[in-house]
Amino acid sequence: MSESSGPLPLRVATVTDDADRAALERIARDELGALDDLYERYKTMAYSIAYRITNDATLAEDVVQEAFLGVWRNASRYVEGRGSVKTWLLSIVHHRAIDAVRRRRATVDLPERDDAPPPAMRLPDVWGEVSSNLDADEVRAALASLSDVQREALELAYFGGLTQTEIAERTGTPLGTVKSRMRLGLLAMREMLSP
Amino acid sequence: MTDPRRPDGQPGGLTCDEVRDLAASFVLGALSEPEMDAVRDHLADCTELHEEFTELGAVVPALDVAVPLMEPPSALRDRIMAVAAADLDARRQADARVIEPVTTLPESVTTEPEPAGAPAPASEPIPIETARRRRPLTWVAGIAAVLAIVLLGAWNLSLQGQLNAAQTYQQQVASVLDAASQPGALTAVLSAPSGQGPNGIAAVTSDGQMRIAMRDLAPTAGDEVYEAWMILPNTAPAPVGGFTVGSNGSGFIEAGGVPAEPGLVLALTREPRPGMTAPSGDPVSVGTTTSTANSTG
Repeated sequence: MSESSGPLPLRVATVTDDADRAALERIARDELGALDDLYERYKTMAYSIAYRITNDATLAEDVVQEAFLGVWRNASRYVEGRGSVKTWLLSIVHHRAIDAVRRRRATVDLPERDDAPPPAMRLPDVWGEVSSNLDADEVRAALASLSDVQREALELAYFGGLTQTEIAERTGTPLGTVKSRMRLGLLAMREMLSP
Repeated sequence: MTDPRRPDGQPGGLTCDEVRDLAASFVLGALSEPEMDAVRDHLADCTELHEEFTELGAVVPALDVAVPLMEPPSALRDRIMAVAAADLDARRQADARVIEPVTTLPESVTTEPEPAGAPAPASEPIPIETARRRRPLTWVAGIAAVLAIVLLGAWNLSLQGQLNAAQTYQQQVASVLDAASQPGALTAVLSAPSGQGPNGIAAVTSDGQMRIAMRDLAPTAGDEVYEAWMILPNTAPAPVGGFTVGSNGSGFIEAGGVPAEPGLVLALTREPRPGMTAPSGDPVSVGTTTSTANSTG
Protein backbone atom coordinates (compact mmCIF):
# COMPACT_ATOMS: atom_id res chain seq x y z
CA MET A 1 0.00 0.00 0.00
CA SER A 2 1.45 3.30 -1.03
CA GLU A 3 0.80 6.32 1.06
CA SER A 4 -0.82 9.31 -0.54
CA SER A 5 1.41 12.19 -1.32
CA GLY A 6 -0.23 15.00 0.59
CA PRO A 7 -2.66 15.85 3.31
CA LEU A 8 -6.36 15.84 2.68
CA PRO A 9 -7.56 19.25 1.60
CA LEU A 10 -8.99 21.36 4.35
CA ARG A 11 -12.72 21.69 4.24
CA VAL A 12 -14.25 24.95 3.20
CA ALA A 13 -17.07 26.36 5.23
CA THR A 14 -20.47 25.50 3.82
CA VAL A 15 -23.89 27.03 4.24
CA THR A 16 -24.75 24.11 6.52
CA ASP A 17 -21.67 24.79 8.64
CA ASP A 18 -22.75 28.40 9.09
CA ALA A 19 -26.28 27.37 9.99
CA ASP A 20 -24.98 24.81 12.47
CA ARG A 21 -22.70 27.32 14.08
CA ALA A 22 -25.50 29.85 14.30
CA ALA A 23 -27.67 27.21 15.94
CA LEU A 24 -24.94 26.45 18.44
CA GLU A 25 -24.58 30.14 19.29
CA ARG A 26 -28.31 30.27 19.94
CA ILE A 27 -28.11 27.15 22.07
CA ALA A 28 -25.37 28.83 24.09
CA ARG A 29 -27.91 31.60 24.67
CA ASP A 30 -30.40 29.02 25.99
CA GLU A 31 -32.70 29.11 22.95
CA LEU A 32 -34.61 25.85 22.94
CA GLY A 33 -35.71 26.32 19.35
CA ALA A 34 -32.09 26.12 18.24
CA LEU A 35 -31.71 22.73 19.89
CA ASP A 36 -34.82 21.65 18.04
CA ASP A 37 -33.32 22.88 14.76
CA LEU A 38 -30.09 21.01 15.32
CA TYR A 39 -31.97 17.87 16.30
CA GLU A 40 -34.12 17.97 13.18
CA ARG A 41 -31.00 18.38 11.05
CA TYR A 42 -29.03 15.50 12.51
CA LYS A 43 -31.49 13.18 14.24
CA THR A 44 -31.33 10.56 11.49
CA MET A 45 -27.56 10.52 11.29
CA ALA A 46 -27.17 10.51 15.06
CA TYR A 47 -29.69 7.75 15.61
CA SER A 48 -28.28 5.66 12.77
CA ILE A 49 -24.77 5.82 14.20
CA ALA A 50 -26.01 5.04 17.70
CA TYR A 51 -28.03 2.09 16.45
CA ARG A 52 -25.18 0.82 14.27
CA ILE A 53 -22.95 0.69 17.34
CA THR A 54 -25.41 -0.47 20.00
CA ASN A 55 -27.71 -2.62 17.84
CA ASP A 56 -30.37 -1.79 20.42
CA ALA A 57 -33.17 0.68 19.73
CA THR A 58 -33.69 1.69 23.36
CA LEU A 59 -29.99 2.11 24.00
CA ALA A 60 -29.63 4.08 20.78
CA GLU A 61 -32.39 6.45 21.88
CA ASP A 62 -30.68 6.95 25.20
CA VAL A 63 -27.38 7.68 23.48
CA VAL A 64 -28.92 10.25 21.15
CA GLN A 65 -30.77 11.88 24.03
CA GLU A 66 -27.59 12.11 26.10
CA ALA A 67 -25.65 13.50 23.15
CA PHE A 68 -28.11 16.28 22.33
CA LEU A 69 -28.54 17.17 25.99
CA GLY A 70 -24.75 17.23 26.23
CA VAL A 71 -24.68 19.73 23.38
CA TRP A 72 -27.46 21.70 25.07
CA ARG A 73 -25.46 21.95 28.28
CA ASN A 74 -22.01 22.38 26.75
CA ALA A 75 -22.50 24.40 23.57
CA SER A 76 -19.93 26.93 24.73
CA ARG A 77 -17.26 24.23 24.87
CA TYR A 78 -17.36 23.75 21.15
CA VAL A 79 -14.09 25.01 19.77
CA GLU A 80 -14.12 26.44 16.30
CA GLY A 81 -11.36 25.08 14.12
CA ARG A 82 -11.45 21.56 15.53
CA GLY A 83 -14.09 20.31 13.20
CA SER A 84 -17.58 21.24 12.14
CA VAL A 85 -20.51 21.28 14.52
CA LYS A 86 -21.79 18.22 12.71
CA THR A 87 -18.56 16.33 13.32
CA TRP A 88 -18.51 17.46 16.94
CA LEU A 89 -22.06 16.33 17.52
CA LEU A 90 -21.67 13.00 15.77
CA SER A 91 -18.41 12.41 17.60
CA ILE A 92 -20.28 12.84 20.89
CA VAL A 93 -22.90 10.36 19.68
CA HIS A 94 -20.19 7.91 18.69
CA HIS A 95 -18.31 8.17 21.97
CA ARG A 96 -21.44 7.78 24.06
CA ALA A 97 -22.55 4.79 22.02
CA ILE A 98 -19.16 3.16 22.43
CA ASP A 99 -19.33 3.85 26.16
CA ALA A 100 -22.76 2.23 26.26
CA VAL A 101 -21.68 -0.97 24.54
CA ARG A 102 -18.51 -1.18 26.60
CA ARG A 103 -20.51 -0.83 29.79
CA ARG A 104 -22.89 -3.48 28.52
CA ARG A 105 -19.95 -5.80 27.92
CA ALA A 106 -18.38 -4.73 31.21
CA THR A 107 -14.97 -5.74 29.93
CA VAL A 108 -13.47 -2.29 30.04
CA ASP A 109 -13.15 -0.18 33.13
CA LEU A 110 -14.63 3.12 32.04
CA PRO A 111 -14.62 6.41 33.88
CA GLU A 112 -17.96 8.11 34.35
CA ARG A 113 -18.48 10.78 31.74
CA ASP A 114 -19.95 14.14 32.46
CA ASP A 115 -21.64 16.21 29.83
CA ALA A 116 -18.35 17.42 28.47
CA PRO A 117 -17.38 16.74 24.89
CA PRO A 118 -15.48 13.49 24.38
CA PRO A 119 -11.75 13.67 25.04
CA ALA A 120 -10.80 13.32 21.41
CA MET A 121 -12.48 16.64 20.70
CA ARG A 122 -10.30 18.38 23.25
CA LEU A 123 -7.10 17.27 21.61
CA PRO A 124 -4.71 19.97 20.52
CA ASP A 125 -4.75 18.67 17.00
CA VAL A 126 -6.53 19.66 13.86
CA TRP A 127 -8.56 16.81 12.52
CA GLY A 128 -9.32 17.23 8.89
CA GLU A 129 -12.65 16.05 7.64
CA VAL A 130 -13.85 14.48 4.49
CA SER A 131 -17.28 13.38 5.56
CA SER A 132 -19.14 16.49 4.45
CA ASN A 133 -17.96 16.12 0.90
CA LEU A 134 -18.74 12.46 0.50
CA ASP A 135 -21.80 10.43 -0.11
CA ALA A 136 -22.56 7.07 1.39
CA ASP A 137 -21.94 5.13 -1.81
CA GLU A 138 -18.40 6.46 -2.10
CA VAL A 139 -17.56 5.51 1.45
CA ARG A 140 -19.19 2.10 1.17
CA ALA A 141 -17.24 1.47 -2.02
CA ALA A 142 -14.03 2.45 -0.28
CA LEU A 143 -14.81 0.15 2.61
CA ALA A 144 -15.70 -2.67 0.26
CA SER A 145 -12.39 -2.34 -1.51
CA LEU A 146 -10.45 -3.09 1.66
CA SER A 147 -9.33 -6.60 2.43
CA ASP A 148 -11.72 -8.51 4.65
CA VAL A 149 -9.33 -8.46 7.59
CA GLN A 150 -8.69 -4.71 7.26
CA ARG A 151 -12.42 -3.98 7.12
CA GLU A 152 -13.06 -6.29 10.04
CA ALA A 153 -10.41 -4.55 12.14
CA LEU A 154 -11.82 -1.08 11.38
CA GLU A 155 -15.40 -2.13 12.08
CA LEU A 156 -14.59 -3.95 15.30
CA ALA A 157 -12.71 -0.88 16.50
CA TYR A 158 -14.96 1.93 15.33
CA PHE A 159 -18.41 0.37 15.49
CA GLY A 160 -17.74 -2.50 17.87
CA GLY A 161 -15.99 -0.46 20.51
CA LEU A 162 -13.24 -3.05 20.92
CA THR A 163 -9.74 -2.05 21.89
CA GLN A 164 -6.83 -3.21 19.77
CA THR A 165 -6.03 -5.84 22.39
CA GLU A 166 -9.60 -7.12 22.37
CA ILE A 167 -9.59 -7.28 18.59
CA ALA A 168 -6.39 -9.30 18.70
CA GLU A 169 -7.93 -11.70 21.20
CA ARG A 170 -11.22 -12.04 19.36
CA THR A 171 -9.66 -12.63 15.96
CA GLY A 172 -6.72 -14.67 17.23
CA THR A 173 -4.36 -12.28 15.56
CA PRO A 174 -1.08 -10.86 16.89
CA LEU A 175 -1.49 -7.33 18.25
CA GLY A 176 1.05 -5.93 15.83
CA THR A 177 -0.93 -7.35 12.91
CA VAL A 178 -4.13 -5.75 14.19
CA LYS A 179 -2.43 -2.36 14.42
CA SER A 180 -1.06 -2.79 10.92
CA ARG A 181 -4.47 -3.73 9.49
CA MET A 182 -6.13 -0.69 11.01
CA ARG A 183 -3.41 1.66 9.81
CA LEU A 184 -3.30 0.27 6.28
CA GLY A 185 -7.09 0.21 6.12
CA LEU A 186 -7.36 3.86 7.06
CA LEU A 187 -4.60 4.86 4.65
CA ALA A 188 -6.28 2.95 1.82
CA MET A 189 -9.59 4.67 2.49
CA ARG A 190 -7.84 8.01 2.67
CA GLU A 191 -6.28 7.47 -0.71
CA MET A 192 -9.56 6.37 -2.27
CA LEU A 193 -11.58 9.21 -0.79
CA SER A 194 -9.12 11.99 -1.55
CA PRO A 195 -10.03 14.02 -4.63
CA MET B 1 8.94 10.07 41.09
CA THR B 2 9.71 8.52 37.72
CA ASP B 3 7.50 5.73 36.52
CA PRO B 4 9.92 2.86 35.82
CA ARG B 5 7.68 1.52 33.11
CA ARG B 6 7.99 4.66 31.08
CA PRO B 7 10.96 6.19 29.33
CA ASP B 8 12.36 9.10 31.25
CA GLY B 9 11.68 12.50 29.82
CA GLN B 10 9.28 11.34 27.11
CA PRO B 11 6.00 13.26 26.80
CA GLY B 12 3.23 11.07 28.10
CA GLY B 13 5.80 8.43 28.98
CA LEU B 14 5.88 7.28 25.37
CA THR B 15 8.50 7.64 22.67
CA CYS B 16 7.52 9.19 19.35
CA ASP B 17 7.84 5.80 17.68
CA GLU B 18 5.49 4.25 20.22
CA VAL B 19 2.97 7.01 19.65
CA ARG B 20 3.17 6.59 15.89
CA ASP B 21 2.55 2.88 16.39
CA LEU B 22 -0.64 3.68 18.31
CA ALA B 23 -1.93 6.38 15.95
CA ALA B 24 -4.46 4.28 14.02
CA SER B 25 -5.85 2.69 17.17
CA PHE B 26 -6.03 6.10 18.81
CA VAL B 27 -8.03 7.81 16.08
CA LEU B 28 -10.40 4.84 16.00
CA GLY B 29 -10.79 4.92 19.78
CA ALA B 30 -9.40 1.39 20.06
CA LEU B 31 -7.13 1.99 23.04
CA SER B 32 -7.74 1.58 26.75
CA GLU B 33 -8.31 4.79 28.69
CA PRO B 34 -4.76 4.81 30.17
CA GLU B 35 -3.33 4.35 26.70
CA MET B 36 -5.53 7.11 25.30
CA ASP B 37 -4.41 9.41 28.12
CA ALA B 38 -0.74 8.62 27.51
CA VAL B 39 -1.06 9.42 23.80
CA ARG B 40 -2.95 12.64 24.56
CA ASP B 41 -0.26 13.69 27.01
CA HIS B 42 2.44 12.97 24.45
CA LEU B 43 0.68 14.94 21.71
CA ALA B 44 0.13 17.85 24.05
CA ASP B 45 3.80 18.12 24.98
CA CYS B 46 5.74 16.70 22.03
CA THR B 47 7.63 19.07 19.75
CA GLU B 48 7.01 16.85 16.72
CA LEU B 49 3.87 17.51 14.70
CA HIS B 50 2.83 13.86 14.47
CA GLU B 51 0.97 14.47 11.24
CA GLU B 52 0.04 10.80 11.08
CA PHE B 53 -2.77 11.58 13.51
CA THR B 54 -4.22 14.17 11.17
CA GLU B 55 -3.78 11.94 8.16
CA LEU B 56 -5.44 8.92 9.74
CA GLY B 57 -7.96 10.87 11.82
CA ALA B 58 -9.26 12.68 8.76
CA VAL B 59 -10.73 9.45 7.47
CA VAL B 60 -12.57 8.50 10.64
CA PRO B 61 -15.64 10.79 10.30
CA ALA B 62 -16.18 9.33 6.84
CA LEU B 63 -16.92 5.96 8.41
CA ASP B 64 -20.12 7.43 9.80
CA VAL B 65 -21.31 8.23 6.29
CA ALA B 66 -21.44 4.53 5.43
CA VAL B 67 -23.91 3.76 8.21
CA PRO B 68 -27.38 2.63 7.01
CA LEU B 69 -29.81 5.42 7.82
CA MET B 70 -32.63 4.87 10.31
CA GLU B 71 -35.26 7.32 11.53
CA PRO B 72 -35.56 7.71 15.30
CA PRO B 73 -39.03 7.47 16.87
CA SER B 74 -40.79 10.83 17.01
CA ALA B 75 -41.16 10.56 20.79
CA LEU B 76 -37.41 10.90 21.16
CA ARG B 77 -37.51 14.49 20.02
CA ASP B 78 -40.29 15.26 22.51
CA ARG B 79 -38.35 13.67 25.33
CA ILE B 80 -35.15 15.57 24.56
CA MET B 81 -36.97 18.88 24.32
CA ALA B 82 -38.92 18.26 27.53
CA VAL B 83 -35.77 17.50 29.50
CA ALA B 84 -33.95 20.48 27.98
CA ALA B 85 -36.90 22.73 28.89
CA ALA B 86 -36.96 21.42 32.45
CA ASP B 87 -33.20 21.84 32.64
CA LEU B 88 -33.48 25.44 31.48
CA ASP B 89 -36.31 26.19 33.86
CA ALA B 90 -34.35 24.81 36.79
CA ARG B 91 -31.26 26.79 35.82
CA ARG B 92 -33.18 30.02 35.50
CA GLN B 93 -34.96 29.51 38.78
CA ALA B 94 -31.72 28.67 40.53
CA ASP B 95 -29.97 31.69 39.01
CA ALA B 96 -32.78 34.04 39.91
CA ARG B 97 -32.93 32.61 43.39
CA VAL B 98 -29.25 33.17 44.10
CA ILE B 99 -28.74 36.40 42.24
CA GLU B 100 -31.86 38.09 43.58
CA PRO B 101 -30.32 39.26 46.87
CA VAL B 102 -27.40 40.81 45.01
CA THR B 103 -29.72 43.01 42.99
CA THR B 104 -31.27 44.45 46.14
CA LEU B 105 -28.11 45.19 48.03
CA PRO B 106 -27.54 48.50 49.76
CA GLU B 107 -26.03 51.10 47.46
CA SER B 108 -22.63 50.83 49.09
CA VAL B 109 -22.42 47.27 47.89
CA THR B 110 -24.12 47.46 44.51
CA THR B 111 -21.85 50.29 43.40
CA GLU B 112 -18.74 48.17 43.83
CA PRO B 113 -16.91 47.92 40.51
CA GLU B 114 -17.53 44.74 38.63
CA PRO B 115 -14.72 42.22 38.45
CA ALA B 116 -12.55 42.29 35.37
CA GLY B 117 -14.12 40.37 32.55
CA ALA B 118 -17.62 41.00 33.74
CA PRO B 119 -20.29 39.92 31.28
CA ALA B 120 -21.44 42.20 28.52
CA PRO B 121 -25.00 43.48 28.55
CA ALA B 122 -27.44 40.82 27.45
CA SER B 123 -28.54 42.86 24.45
CA GLU B 124 -25.11 42.67 22.87
CA PRO B 125 -24.09 39.74 20.71
CA ILE B 126 -22.42 37.14 22.85
CA PRO B 127 -19.43 35.29 21.42
CA ILE B 128 -20.06 31.60 21.62
CA GLU B 129 -17.03 30.96 23.79
CA THR B 130 -18.14 33.50 26.36
CA ALA B 131 -21.87 33.00 26.32
CA ARG B 132 -21.89 30.28 28.94
CA ARG B 133 -19.27 32.04 30.99
CA ARG B 134 -21.74 34.77 31.81
CA ARG B 135 -23.32 32.55 34.41
CA PRO B 136 -20.12 31.68 36.32
CA LEU B 137 -19.04 35.30 36.22
CA THR B 138 -22.39 36.33 37.59
CA TRP B 139 -21.88 33.85 40.35
CA VAL B 140 -18.45 35.31 41.02
CA ALA B 141 -19.98 38.76 41.31
CA GLY B 142 -22.63 37.36 43.60
CA ILE B 143 -20.10 35.66 45.82
CA ALA B 144 -18.04 38.84 46.05
CA ALA B 145 -21.12 40.76 47.06
CA VAL B 146 -21.99 38.15 49.62
CA LEU B 147 -18.57 38.52 51.19
CA ALA B 148 -19.05 42.26 51.34
CA ILE B 149 -22.31 41.80 53.16
CA VAL B 150 -20.67 39.50 55.67
CA LEU B 151 -18.10 42.19 56.37
CA LEU B 152 -20.82 44.76 56.79
CA GLY B 153 -22.42 42.52 59.33
CA ALA B 154 -25.80 42.90 57.74
CA TRP B 155 -28.16 40.54 55.95
CA ASN B 156 -25.81 37.70 56.65
CA LEU B 157 -28.14 35.23 58.22
CA SER B 158 -31.02 35.70 55.85
CA LEU B 159 -28.80 35.67 52.79
CA GLN B 160 -26.95 32.58 53.94
CA GLY B 161 -30.28 30.96 54.56
CA GLN B 162 -31.41 31.80 51.05
CA LEU B 163 -28.20 30.44 49.59
CA ASN B 164 -28.61 27.21 51.50
CA ALA B 165 -32.20 26.98 50.39
CA ALA B 166 -31.16 27.53 46.78
CA GLN B 167 -28.50 24.85 47.04
CA THR B 168 -30.95 22.41 48.59
CA TYR B 169 -33.49 23.13 45.89
CA GLN B 170 -30.86 22.72 43.16
CA GLN B 171 -29.97 19.28 44.49
CA GLN B 172 -33.62 18.30 44.57
CA VAL B 173 -34.16 19.61 41.05
CA ALA B 174 -31.16 17.59 39.87
CA SER B 175 -32.80 14.49 41.28
CA VAL B 176 -36.01 15.28 39.43
CA LEU B 177 -34.09 15.89 36.19
CA ASP B 178 -32.42 12.52 36.55
CA ALA B 179 -35.86 10.94 36.55
CA ALA B 180 -37.02 13.19 33.72
CA SER B 181 -34.15 12.07 31.51
CA GLN B 182 -35.28 8.45 31.55
CA PRO B 183 -37.00 7.10 28.45
CA GLY B 184 -40.74 7.59 28.58
CA ALA B 185 -40.63 9.97 31.52
CA LEU B 186 -43.12 12.80 31.87
CA THR B 187 -42.50 16.19 33.40
CA ALA B 188 -44.70 18.79 35.04
CA VAL B 189 -44.07 22.33 36.18
CA LEU B 190 -45.97 23.06 39.39
CA SER B 191 -46.99 26.60 40.16
CA ALA B 192 -49.31 28.40 42.55
CA PRO B 193 -52.82 28.98 41.18
CA SER B 194 -52.43 32.68 41.95
CA GLY B 195 -49.21 32.85 39.97
CA GLN B 196 -47.15 33.75 43.01
CA GLY B 197 -46.22 31.22 45.63
CA PRO B 198 -44.86 27.71 45.87
CA ASN B 199 -43.51 26.31 42.63
CA GLY B 200 -41.38 23.44 41.45
CA ILE B 201 -41.00 20.63 38.96
CA ALA B 202 -41.98 16.99 38.89
CA ALA B 203 -41.07 13.93 36.85
CA VAL B 204 -42.87 10.63 36.50
CA THR B 205 -40.92 7.73 35.04
CA SER B 206 -42.43 5.03 32.88
CA ASP B 207 -42.35 2.59 35.80
CA GLY B 208 -44.46 4.91 37.96
CA GLN B 209 -41.79 6.53 40.09
CA MET B 210 -42.50 10.19 40.79
CA ARG B 211 -40.23 12.92 42.14
CA ILE B 212 -41.31 16.44 43.00
CA ALA B 213 -39.00 19.30 44.01
CA MET B 214 -40.72 22.36 45.47
CA ARG B 215 -39.61 25.73 46.81
CA ASP B 216 -41.15 28.80 48.43
CA LEU B 217 -43.32 26.64 50.66
CA ALA B 218 -44.38 27.97 54.04
CA PRO B 219 -42.77 25.91 56.82
CA THR B 220 -44.96 23.25 58.38
CA ALA B 221 -45.63 23.22 62.12
CA GLY B 222 -46.74 20.51 64.51
CA ASP B 223 -48.34 17.62 62.66
CA GLU B 224 -48.77 19.60 59.47
CA VAL B 225 -47.60 18.11 56.19
CA TYR B 226 -47.71 18.95 52.54
CA GLU B 227 -49.55 16.21 50.70
CA ALA B 228 -49.09 15.45 47.02
CA TRP B 229 -52.15 14.31 45.08
CA MET B 230 -52.55 12.77 41.68
CA ILE B 231 -55.73 13.48 39.79
CA LEU B 232 -56.73 11.53 36.71
CA PRO B 233 -59.58 12.79 34.55
CA ASN B 234 -62.97 12.22 36.18
CA THR B 235 -61.48 10.74 39.30
CA ALA B 236 -61.08 11.99 42.85
CA PRO B 237 -57.63 13.12 44.02
CA ALA B 238 -55.56 10.21 45.30
CA PRO B 239 -52.84 10.81 47.88
CA VAL B 240 -49.30 10.11 46.77
CA GLY B 241 -47.33 11.02 49.86
CA GLY B 242 -46.55 13.78 52.28
CA PHE B 243 -43.56 15.72 53.55
CA THR B 244 -42.74 18.44 56.03
CA VAL B 245 -40.99 21.69 55.24
CA GLY B 246 -38.41 23.56 57.26
CA SER B 247 -37.39 27.17 57.27
CA ASN B 248 -35.65 26.91 53.88
CA GLY B 249 -39.01 26.50 52.18
CA SER B 250 -37.97 23.63 49.93
CA GLY B 251 -39.61 20.25 49.81
CA PHE B 252 -39.00 16.98 48.03
CA ILE B 253 -40.98 13.81 47.68
CA GLU B 254 -40.35 10.54 45.90
CA ALA B 255 -43.14 8.00 45.54
CA GLY B 256 -44.17 5.06 43.39
CA GLY B 257 -47.39 3.90 41.82
CA VAL B 258 -48.03 7.03 39.80
CA PRO B 259 -49.31 6.39 36.28
CA ALA B 260 -47.05 7.81 33.60
CA GLU B 261 -49.89 9.35 31.63
CA PRO B 262 -49.77 12.76 29.98
CA GLY B 263 -52.42 15.02 31.43
CA LEU B 264 -52.12 13.67 34.94
CA VAL B 265 -52.66 16.54 37.37
CA LEU B 266 -50.30 16.76 40.31
CA ALA B 267 -51.40 18.98 43.18
CA LEU B 268 -49.96 19.93 46.52
CA THR B 269 -52.06 20.83 49.57
CA ARG B 270 -51.17 21.78 53.08
CA GLU B 271 -52.81 19.35 55.48
CA PRO B 272 -53.22 19.44 59.27
CA ARG B 273 -51.85 15.92 59.68
CA PRO B 274 -50.47 13.00 57.64
CA GLY B 275 -52.70 10.31 56.20
CA MET B 276 -55.50 12.47 54.81
CA THR B 277 -57.55 10.58 52.21
CA ALA B 278 -58.98 13.71 50.62
CA PRO B 279 -57.68 17.28 50.37
CA SER B 280 -58.92 19.51 53.17
CA GLY B 281 -58.33 22.72 51.26
CA ASP B 282 -57.31 24.27 47.99
CA PRO B 283 -53.99 23.30 46.40
CA VAL B 284 -51.03 25.55 46.98
CA SER B 285 -49.39 24.43 43.73
CA VAL B 286 -50.59 22.51 40.69
CA GLY B 287 -49.07 21.10 37.49
CA THR B 288 -49.94 18.77 34.63
CA THR B 289 -47.66 16.08 33.28
CA THR B 290 -46.58 16.26 29.69
CA SER B 291 -44.26 14.39 27.40
CA THR B 292 -44.58 16.77 24.52
CA ALA B 293 -42.85 19.97 23.54
CA ASN B 294 -45.67 21.88 25.22
CA SER B 295 -43.32 22.53 28.06
CA THR B 296 -40.58 23.82 25.84
CA GLY B 297 -42.04 27.28 25.55
